[in-house]
Amino acid sequence: MEIIQVVNCTKDYHSDGQIVHALRGVHLSLHKGEFAAIAGPSGSGKTTLLNCIGGLDYSTQGNVYIEGTDISKLSPKELSRLRLFKIGFIFQAYNLIPVLTALENVEYILLLQGMGDSNRKRKAAEVLELVGLKDEMHRLPHELSGGQQQRVAIARAIVSSPAIVLADEPTANVDQKTGSALLDLMEHLNKEKQITFLFSTHDPMVMKRAHRLINIIDGMIVKDTLVKRKNK
Amino acid sequence: MIRMQNVKIVLMIGWRNVFRNKRRSLIVASSIVVGLVVMMFSMAIMNGFNRQMLENTINTSLGHVAIHKKGFFNDMKLSLSFMPKDLCNAIKNIQGVACIGQRVKFEAMVQSSRSSQGVLVMGIEPEEEKCVSNIFEYAGSDIHSYITDSSNNDILISRSLATKLGIGIGDKCVVMLQDKDGVLAAHAFIVKGLYQSPIESFDKYVVYTGIRKAQEISGLGNAISEIIVRCRDKDFADSVASTINSLDTADLEVLTWKQMAPNIVQAIKLFDTMMYVFLAIIFISIIFTIANTMIMAIMERYREIGIMKSIGTQPSWIAAIVILEACGLGVLGIVAGIVITYLLVAITATTGINFAFYSESMRVWGTGTTIYPFLTATNSIVATVIVLLNTIVASLYPAYKAAKIKPIDALHFI
Repeated sequence: MEIIQVVNCTKDYHSDGQIVHALRGVHLSLHKGEFAAIAGPSGSGKTTLLNCIGGLDYSTQGNVYIEGTDISKLSPKELSRLRLFKIGFIFQAYNLIPVLTALENVEYILLLQGMGDSNRKRKAAEVLELVGLKDEMHRLPHELSGGQQQRVAIARAIVSSPAIVLADEPTANVDQKTGSALLDLMEHLNKEKQITFLFSTHDPMVMKRAHRLINIIDGMIVKDTLVKRKNK
Repeated sequence: MIRMQNVKIVLMIGWRNVFRNKRRSLIVASSIVVGLVVMMFSMAIMNGFNRQMLENTINTSLGHVAIHKKGFFNDMKLSLSFMPKDLCNAIKNIQGVACIGQRVKFEAMVQSSRSSQGVLVMGIEPEEEKCVSNIFEYAGSDIHSYITDSSNNDILISRSLATKLGIGIGDKCVVMLQDKDGVLAAHAFIVKGLYQSPIESFDKYVVYTGIRKAQEISGLGNAISEIIVRCRDKDFADSVASTINSLDTADLEVLTWKQMAPNIVQAIKLFDTMMYVFLAIIFISIIFTIANTMIMAIMERYREIGIMKSIGTQPSWIAAIVILEACGLGVLGIVAGIVITYLLVAITATTGINFAFYSESMRVWGTGTTIYPFLTATNSIVATVIVLLNTIVASLYPAYKAAKIKPIDALHFI
């Protein structure tokens, strides 16, 4: 089943009176349970593509489907709900809410979804335990290391069991050892929970570990390699 | 529908945001504290000013309720006198009445060898007058400088009038009047004592003698000009006046202090209005301080707000968090401001604030030179509501700006 379908997607920006073609007719399909990475140099359009898939930006032309829904036609409010229920985000700089503890940060998504108090706390605690932060769940983000913060961000992204997790250079701000551990964790979640991961990266380690590598240059997908199909 | 748990998390984030930049929060809370203290302390001083102005006017001459012959209040003619008969006993039995006093009042000329002055002569019952007015205290609370026998030719004049006439205690002066029958008469009096009230205009114009002497020289016989009623509290005046009106008072008029001193009631309203205008100016500047600070806070958290929106937070939540953060600052400022104000008021209510340097003007208003501030529960509630409303108003624009932040603008890298 196709979780993401991008059809002939273009995105143009106006910059200093000139039109910049960030995406030029991109076609892409992702199936449930994939562990894929979009790789390319800076300015190649990987961030723009991720923005369009994540419903944070509208494409200029073409369509983006998430579980069969054309998100190009959704209003900002509908897009907000789609992001809440269908998509998990992991950001490069962790971007946790600084005044909430690790547990509260994870709970926050469930709270936005309207989950009840006891279920919410139990589920958030379970996910934090899953990412190895059982003993740190009551700490504030600034009391955690970079790797721990990114684990919280991963827990926040997967706690509501979204259709897909979009991760923007999740290893960029951590050392190689921590980055490797984070990838182990995400790969484990992908395998055990069938969560679809789509990374944007130029980290060779991520590219090496991805099961599918999508190369993008100048707004066009130039290579799409199935490195290794994961076991379903 | 707003869910309780949503309110809880929004409250929690808003409140914790207050403590993220402690120095900035302290500056904003301090500006609220200063504004609140200025506002509430001004209210307290104005309360004291108004109360003293009112109480002094009541205590000097008005009383809480006065009964006259119809028309006397506007035209103090001797012909507008009346026989009290059993009215005094009936009034004394009314619930809420503390005491009563009878008076004879007429206009006259007081003259010394140096000068003369038009005055209002008040013939009083010396003992009863001690209860209905403060003239005994104004004369020094000394029985030797107060009228003791209401038939004697003793007279009390103010210090300022004594200075003008060039006379003192024990000196003679002459009171010239036109009696009830229109006959001009002159009577010699001996200055028994000097008084000073808090009201300058009163001192210039009023002299006291005994009621029997006043009745004798004016030809009134046993008639009087007015009955002054002192209630247990000035707020009882309306009900007491209403009860007196139900007695046999067909040709009499019963006036409360509010009816006799409408200028003071109006002055108090005017002072209150002026104070609120003054406070509005202070708080408009505070609105801008809070708004400016909240905008700075939002600019600092631009990216964070973008993240919150990108993971599905509705704009209304973002707005609520900003408003609640401002309210948190407001609450801190209010608590500190109220504590400081009550301390200040508690101290100054005991010591008083001496406005002696401004004494002439204070005497014109009849407040006395020392003001004793006080606060009412209403003042505290009004101040709290005003500050909270200010805070909310100040946070509306920043909240709107925050709610309008587009995730894509805040996140350039996803």
